Amino acid sequence: MIVKVAWRNIWRNRLRSSVIIIALSLGLWAGIFASAFVQGMMKQKVESVISKEMSDFQVHHPDYREEKLPNLIIEDSETIQADIASNEYVIASTGRVIIEGPAVSTSHKEGMIRLIGIDPKEEAMVTGLEGDLIEGTYFEGIKKNPILISSKTAEEYGLELKSKINFRFLDIHGDVHQVGFRVVGIYNSGNPMMDGMKAYALRDDVKSHLGIETGFHEIAVSLNDHNQAEPLAEKFQNKYENLEVIPWLDLALGMRYMIDAMGMYTVIIVGIILFALLFSILNTMLMAVLERTREIGMLMAVGMAKQKVFFMIMVETLFLSLIGGPIGLLVSYLSISYFGSAGINLGDAAYGEMGFSNIIYPYLESSEYVKVGIMVFFMALFAAIYPSVKALRLKPVEAIRK
Amino acid sequence: MSNVIETKNLSKVYKGVVPVHAVDNVDLQIEDNEFTAIVGPSGSGKTTLLNIIGGLDRPTSGNVLVNGNELASLNDNQLIDFRLKHIGFVFQSYNLIPVLTAKENTEFIMLLQKISKQERDERVEKLLTDVGLGDKMNSRPTQLSGGQQQRVAVARALASKPDFILADEPTANLDSKSAENLLDIMLRLNKEEGVTFVFSTHDQRVIDRARRVITLEDGKIVKDERK
Repeated sequence: MIVKVAWRNIWRNRLRSSVIIIALSLGLWAGIFASAFVQGMMKQKVESVISKEMSDFQVHHPDYREEKLPNLIIEDSETIQADIASNEYVIASTGRVIIEGPAVSTSHKEGMIRLIGIDPKEEAMVTGLEGDLIEGTYFEGIKKNPILISSKTAEEYGLELKSKINFRFLDIHGDVHQVGFRVVGIYNSGNPMMDGMKAYALRDDVKSHLGIETGFHEIAVSLNDHNQAEPLAEKFQNKYENLEVIPWLDLALGMRYMIDAMGMYTVIIVGIILFALLFSILNTMLMAVLERTREIGMLMAVGMAKQKVFFMIMVETLFLSLIGGPIGLLVSYLSISYFGSAGINLGDAAYGEMGFSNIIYPYLESSEYVKVGIMVFFMALFAAIYPSVKALRLKPVEAIRK
Repeated sequence: MSNVIETKNLSKVYKGVVPVHAVDNVDLQIEDNEFTAIVGPSGSGKTTLLNIIGGLDRPTSGNVLVNGNELASLNDNQLIDFRLKHIGFVFQSYNLIPVLTAKENTEFIMLLQKISKQERDERVEKLLTDVGLGDKMNSRPTQLSGGQQQRVAVARALASKPDFILADEPTANLDSKSAENLLDIMLRLNKEEGVTFVFSTHDQRVIDRARRVITLEDGKIVKDERK
């Protein structure tokens, strides 16, 4: 009966209760959706970092990442690549030969672009580069020095298909070379910032220009389970002690910290919103208690134990919160599910320039909903305590006169 | 007959710049089955006396015995439990729970007493029929007139089978017809069911029909008349 009374009590003032329930639902939705937006953005960033930039782990000469000299080649590259590729978690691998930061010039502009020499088939398996092509062909149709550039590079340097682009760099002997490449295709990986920093040429062409007979600067490896990146990198590091085997989390500076911080993001955002809502609910319940002073006094007068009065007000507050909470969670789930597949197009917003995709797919782990549900419950408990204690302190003889 | 209520040297003083003796050295015995009106001008101490007898307020000195139980020896929680089991209350403003029906309001006290559903159902039906509201069991207070609400309050007060019922100005908010009607019911319950009523009132018609009238002035009993 106490639960029934509590339930009916919250509907005495329908407008006030509805406002609180809507506020709680909207507040929760805003917090959860904002969290899902950022987490979706981060998840895409991680996926992009792994699939388009770093792969799951990379192998280099131990000094390569520091010095980036063309002669720092992995010895027995093909053998090592084949050994790594035979691991059960490895789905693809590729060997790259890289010209780091060569001077680039076109008729429009001069600058610096990392030129990566690739095996087109292997690269397509690791980074899906072929699928990102938006114009031209994937190294077909131009025999001499074909190059694949990003749409951002094309725009910046005023290039189009078959345009010429000159690279000036040092070979392994320290001699300066100037080589002209011709645009065979234009790609867009969805990450303009990274796209603008690199271009792809055929590995054999780059090797020949650098004077490398055999070997790669980099072996990039894709796994079927990203969680295996660190243990597998450690395993191969132990096996190839004279090389550097490094997982993507250590390649992408700051990603490890960002991912760790993401774990707390929902709690912080939703926590702040719930903290504000706590006072709204507390105020509403306090008003409800003050308005019903005489009635609560009567209940105590006729013999309702104080703990039952306390319980009744607690239950009323919990009802109020636990109606709004699930509605907020449901609306959040539905909107995140919808935009999680439809995506939110940010257009030409600055996110792309920061290395994030222009289309964000909000995402939230199911455990985060449980976490938020628990937070709402405890917020409701906290909000209930003061009004309940206030009711408890009423003296029936005074309360029934009000 | 045995005393249901007995007060000994009961006093209540409200402290202030000038202390107010709301109840002043009252000795009173009320026997089982009595129908007693406590009368007196405003500020004479009627409500304070009823509150102390009902265990809602504590005296400054003296003691109240209800069926031999000394209320002063009970702590607050024990007093609440004592009120639940031994005392029925009817308030001037009815004080029903607005979100419950007449049936649920009457049943509420029995639920607090953990009485079985079958017994609750039987007793609620009888009580509401006794007060003439057998056809209004599922009406909420807002759907009832003042007189009907006060009759539900009487049924609720009787639900716990109390030793006696305390009623503070029960007819004060009622029109004359409803007041007469309520009084008829209270008298019938007193006569047929043996329910002891103690009530404060200003209403001369109620005073005329009371079988015992205790008059208070300045917190003291100045007249105690049995008819």
